[in-house]
Amino acid sequence: MSHNEITGTGVGSQAVVGNVFLLETSDAVFEHQKTTHSPEEEASVLATAIATTAAGIRDEARDGGKTAAEILHALLIILEDPELQEMAKPYLSTGDDASTALFKALDVVSELMGDDEEFQSRVNDLRGIAARISAWVRGIAAGPAIPQEGQWVIVAHDLTPLETSQFGDSVVGVVTELGGPTSHTAIICRALALPAVVSARGAMGLVQGESVLVDPEGNRVIRGGGMVDATQALTFIPQANGPLVTVRANIGGLADATTAASTTARGVGLFRTEVLYLSASTEPSVGDQAASYTEVLKAAPAGKIIIRTIDAGSDKPVPFLVLEHEQNPALGIRGFRLQADHESFLVSQLEAIAQAMSDTGRDVGVMAPMVATVKEVEKFAALCAKAGISQVGIMIETPAIISVLPELEGLISFVSIGTNDLSQYLFAADRMHPRLGELNNPWQPGLLRNVKAIADHAQALGIPAGVCGESAANPLVAIVFAGMGIDSLSVAPSAVEEVTRALSAITREQAQEASVLALAARVPSEAETAVRGLFTPAG
Amino acid sequence: MTEETSHTFTVHDPIGLHARPVGQIVTLVRERGVSVTLRDSTGKEASATSALRMLALKIKNGDSLEIIVESDDQALALGLAKAIEALVNEG
Repeated sequence: MSHNEITGTGVGSQAVVGNVFLLETSDAVFEHQKTTHSPEEEASVLATAIATTAAGIRDEARDGGKTAAEILHALLIILEDPELQEMAKPYLSTGDDASTALFKALDVVSELMGDDEEFQSRVNDLRGIAARISAWVRGIAAGPAIPQEGQWVIVAHDLTPLETSQFGDSVVGVVTELGGPTSHTAIICRALALPAVVSARGAMGLVQGESVLVDPEGNRVIRGGGMVDATQALTFIPQANGPLVTVRANIGGLADATTAASTTARGVGLFRTEVLYLSASTEPSVGDQAASYTEVLKAAPAGKIIIRTIDAGSDKPVPFLVLEHEQNPALGIRGFRLQADHESFLVSQLEAIAQAMSDTGRDVGVMAPMVATVKEVEKFAALCAKAGISQVGIMIETPAIISVLPELEGLISFVSIGTNDLSQYLFAADRMHPRLGELNNPWQPGLLRNVKAIADHAQALGIPAGVCGESAANPLVAIVFAGMGIDSLSVAPSAVEEVTRALSAITREQAQEASVLALAARVPSEAETAVRGLFTPAG
Repeated sequence: MTEETSHTFTVHDPIGLHARPVGQIVTLVRERGVSVTLRDSTGKEASATSALRMLALKIKNGDSLEIIVESDDQALALGLAKAIEALVNEG
């Protein structure tokens, strides 16, 4: 069964059976490539490619509906913005070709916009159009048209407004590798009442014409599945006054802090500070930084606030920190490792945070990203002590730090697990790699058992352990974590209510039972099915 | 020195200033050919010809937004600022 399933995020609750129609964009469109052209020549290729593709798309889109046309227009305006080409220039000057630099510039934009969900839901739409531009740059042909007869499940990396506007009555379901629950694809599918599974990593491995069950309630696609395999709906009805463990919000800046304050989040479990620095061309003064932190601390929801010090790397550059190009940025100088060359900046950041703490009187913990050794933690704790910060913690993202946690007694007062990066490093699987989604599945026993080990280590140290990775936004995974002894969960503001509701609907014993079942599983689907079964009403 | 006309209003849109109205603002401002700047309550500014810069202001529902139009024709400038308000709050 597990080989026949692809998991993702369901949109809608009605399941459907149909034949796969691959709307394929060749991988060659997305590959990072170098060019022998000069950066100036390549910049002009990029400008021409954007203008030509945008004109072509405008021509084709004339028949679309009004809303779809306005969204498409807005996306084209963003891609045509000369600012975007400016953002691509640093990459062009390292020898990247026009397509590669365009995709990287969009990554920078995406990072800049942080947790702005409305924008993040458009980023994949922008990448979809960028793929057309890339196809033009590289001379790759566009795919075939969807047949008007039959019952088709459209399978794609992601769908652009351009592509969804071509859906006729023959389209009965949608599966995409990318795109979140708020993506254009998800919005259109909801509007058209089309069952869909998005973020279905591995979907492009489906075979043209094969029959699949799209099971949005089960967050999965089943190859050869029938309607009898479809998942029953799960609903959580809150029984208790509050959730089993504290639910906090992940934020990147003031706007997110304000959004989070309108939810039931009890504080902030992850404040990604790099977002504040991405648009600064020179290092901001301690006073300027403190003012930004004060603003965010004032707006943040009541409760503890956990601030993560700057987490940049050569794939996530901050303009005033000079970072050399790296072959493998995920394994390079990033997170706390930046401290070696940029200690004075880290010192100024900690001073600014300490100042904002005393200005606002908020309960703040500060943690370091990407630490792997006891020595690094000692260094961080010493820097925090010097700045007058007493609640010091670390992110757990590297497998190496897990086994030495007992050595950190007295150095730290909390840990927070970043499950996205922890998965990436545990499984040696790039979290952005579209074909390695299964290895980054939060139900992987290799991940769950490590989270349990961390919870146990933390308990032995007498310090709280939280999870601030995306995985905790899945209510069932959140329940499993709570059952393992994780003390707090932090999720995107949009997921706070759903997770809180689930954690208010169950008892500690149920959560513990769920974690025992999940930890005993050999494969992800076994873990998810067992836990889901616990909460599925009989009959 | 060209006159500046300023018009401030509160954004009423559940998802704030987002891609669709931003696209419409760029088109409108390009058509009129005048210089228009958006300024948020913290003083951060963005040119109305750059969709990316406007989005990066991350204007949310309930935020105040100031539109500054550079034109000697004050009536025209105010009309344009109000047209932008309409795009933001109806878009």
